[in-house]
Amino acid sequence: MDKRRYFTRKILNAVLTIILVAAFNFMLFRILPGNPARLLLPKGHYSTIAIAQQKKIFHLDKPLWEQFGYYWVDTAEGNFGNSYAQHEPVVQVVGRAIVPTLVLVGTGTLFATVIGIVVGVFAGWRRNGTFDIASTNLGMVLYSMPTFWVAMIFILYFSVKLGWFPSGRMLDVGVTYTSFIGKAGAFLHHLFLPALVFAITYAAEYELIMRSSITSVMKEDFILTARAKGVSDTRVLWGHVAPNAMLPSITLVMMNFGFVLSGAILVETVFNWPGLGLLSYNSMLERDYPVMQAVFLLASAAVILCNLIADIMYYYLDPRVKA
Amino acid sequence: MNSGQIPPRLKRWIFIWTPVIWVVLELVLYPRNRPLSSGFANVMGGFVDKRIASYPAWTLWLATAALVVTEVLELRAHKKSARMASIVLAMAIVVFIWACAQMGFTRFDLFGRGSSYSWLFQTVLVVLAAVLVWSWGAANPERADLLVWNTREIWRIFRANWQGIIGLGILLFFSAMALLAPFLVNHAWLSPDASVTRTAFAPPSFHNYLLWFGSDEQGLSVFAEFVWSSRISLFVGLLATVITTVVGAGAGIFTGYYAGWIGEFGMRITDVFLVLPWLPFAMVLAAAWGQNYAIIVLIIAVTSWAGTARIVRAQSLSVKELAFVERARAIGSSDVHIMRKHILPNVMPLIVANAVLTVAIAVFAETTLSFLGLGDPLNFSWGTMLEHVFDTGATEVPTATAYLLAPGIAVVLVVLACNLIGTAIDEVVDPKLRKREESRGESRFTDAAAAPSGALDLARVGVETGGRGGRGDDGGTADLA
Repeated sequence: MDKRRYFTRKILNAVLTIILVAAFNFMLFRILPGNPARLLLPKGHYSTIAIAQQKKIFHLDKPLWEQFGYYWVDTAEGNFGNSYAQHEPVVQVVGRAIVPTLVLVGTGTLFATVIGIVVGVFAGWRRNGTFDIASTNLGMVLYSMPTFWVAMIFILYFSVKLGWFPSGRMLDVGVTYTSFIGKAGAFLHHLFLPALVFAITYAAEYELIMRSSITSVMKEDFILTARAKGVSDTRVLWGHVAPNAMLPSITLVMMNFGFVLSGAILVETVFNWPGLGLLSYNSMLERDYPVMQAVFLLASAAVILCNLIADIMYYYLDPRVKA
Repeated sequence: MNSGQIPPRLKRWIFIWTPVIWVVLELVLYPRNRPLSSGFANVMGGFVDKRIASYPAWTLWLATAALVVTEVLELRAHKKSARMASIVLAMAIVVFIWACAQMGFTRFDLFGRGSSYSWLFQTVLVVLAAVLVWSWGAANPERADLLVWNTREIWRIFRANWQGIIGLGILLFFSAMALLAPFLVNHAWLSPDASVTRTAFAPPSFHNYLLWFGSDEQGLSVFAEFVWSSRISLFVGLLATVITTVVGAGAGIFTGYYAGWIGEFGMRITDVFLVLPWLPFAMVLAAAWGQNYAIIVLIIAVTSWAGTARIVRAQSLSVKELAFVERARAIGSSDVHIMRKHILPNVMPLIVANAVLTVAIAVFAETTLSFLGLGDPLNFSWGTMLEHVFDTGATEVPTATAYLLAPGIAVVLVVLACNLIGTAIDEVVDPKLRKREESRGESRFTDAAAAPSGALDLARVGVETGGRGGRGDDGGTADLA
């Protein structure tokens, strides 16, 4: 397929889906039972003035189709109203939480990818060997474990019993760090356990995919050719098999990255990590609808964006798409 | 009735399975507080107690509607003998009267629990269903023979897969625990004033079965919570799977068959649901709709039907191109007929395999949502137990280790069992994956990319991840296929 047509199609698709998701978001928060103006206010603040004010902010006094128009303008301007739990514009509350989540999830994904791919390569290379059977079965078990449960076990063992790592938060409360290095060290110390939990639960999935992908590539003719030429085992594995088998894993990693918030909610809740996940958990507990709405839109947009990036990467990584 | 025509094996199956199904259904409704120690007569009396709990009225209304609709469809197509038609109508009438009795004819209660003689209605229904199967076998002896043969063949292949058998064993164990819960632990041990120990988080002890897993923050028996949780967890998982599969498979076949703008539009909607991050979505819905298990079931169905739809659609797109569909269309079959009689049977194996995996997703999702505090606060499920562990800070208490481990291990085992069974069913469905062939010891994961439907399998793995967050669909790979 010609390059421009492929890209245009993919981008148009993504834009269309984002528009549909945004429209869905509008409906979701307006078809909820009860008065939307009330939903967008904290409990116990239902005074007439507050409701009128809220109606004005969200244009709820207008007919539905006009509201829909205003909704687009507001979303484009980033006007999601005020978070009533924190008495600040939603944009600020959400903005503050993005970086911690990206750091946590980025580190976790990096480890998961490396562990998953390396283990998967070795497991797929020696099919049905001891290492393969052990790692695949372990992978299946890890894959079935709820993330938050693993997190709680780690806290019980590593931070309560052994006391090696702190059991939550990004930095200790009430401690002032004198040097930058001390602060960075404390941060990494806090980051380790949550990132490890994240990595372990995702690595299992990448390992299973990588292993199956290796197996299928090893049946290809060009591997036979390489062997016939007398290429050493190591070079066949790392020079011919692994690079070709990487494709599905990379795509999966990329797409999972979009769904990162779902995983982050659980890990961040258990470890009290001040990112988007904890924010959405808390806003759910407090019924902080403006924040929920913004986070939900952001999360959906992230998935669509990551899908688009995966498609674009595919174009460059897989020559078959170009043909 | 011309009973000589029925395959003898089918006859035997009817005689064996009818009582089994009856017992299982009775156990679902069995009163909560009649432990084995209360005496043989009392326990037996539990089966015919006239005040036992019962199904919510709306499920019975749905069942009535479903029975009547299928009956009308079948009668219009002149498919059934008059005898079978009358049996189905009798079943519909029984369910209808049952639903009316449930609500006292006027009061509409979503979870009507005040009815009487549920066991009687249920018994009549089970017997009617057995008679229905019998008369079907008598009317179509060749097809009955084929069914018997196919079932035995499927079981023979499945049996050869030890992983599938282990999975089945685990699932049977937990199902038995859920069904026999009233006999294992009296439900009264779950009430807040039924403390077993004075102190919170007592360590496990083997002298008293209630203390096998220690006690919780209020001194309640963790073992009792654990046993009764299995009911909710498995039931919610099963019910959500049924809804997800029916909606997803329906949408998949529909959008696959109507490839024009209707299908394209349906596909767009499916795509939107695929990219919605499921956990934030579920949290929004739960916050808005409220907290009980009917809503949790609904939420799981809403967030996971799209994955099933996508897989089923891919398959029905290829089935649609086969020659027999064209032939059917040429002789003037209607679209509905083609979808029901030609496409559905051909995607059925895929739907079944996917449904087993959906059970895993649903149990996982229920646990996650309950852990986040979105479950029913009045009932226990494994997720709710883990929520209590987390909320009460039991993760910091070394004596509460069993409290943390027990529900988690149960969830892991059930999810693992479903994945193992799914793998085994894939082997039954797809001969290429079987052990005897060139690819020894392969499972679904191992050969995903090698199978001709590689992209599809990858999509399924992506869907499976749903529980953890990657309800990803593979736009890129699907385009390649």
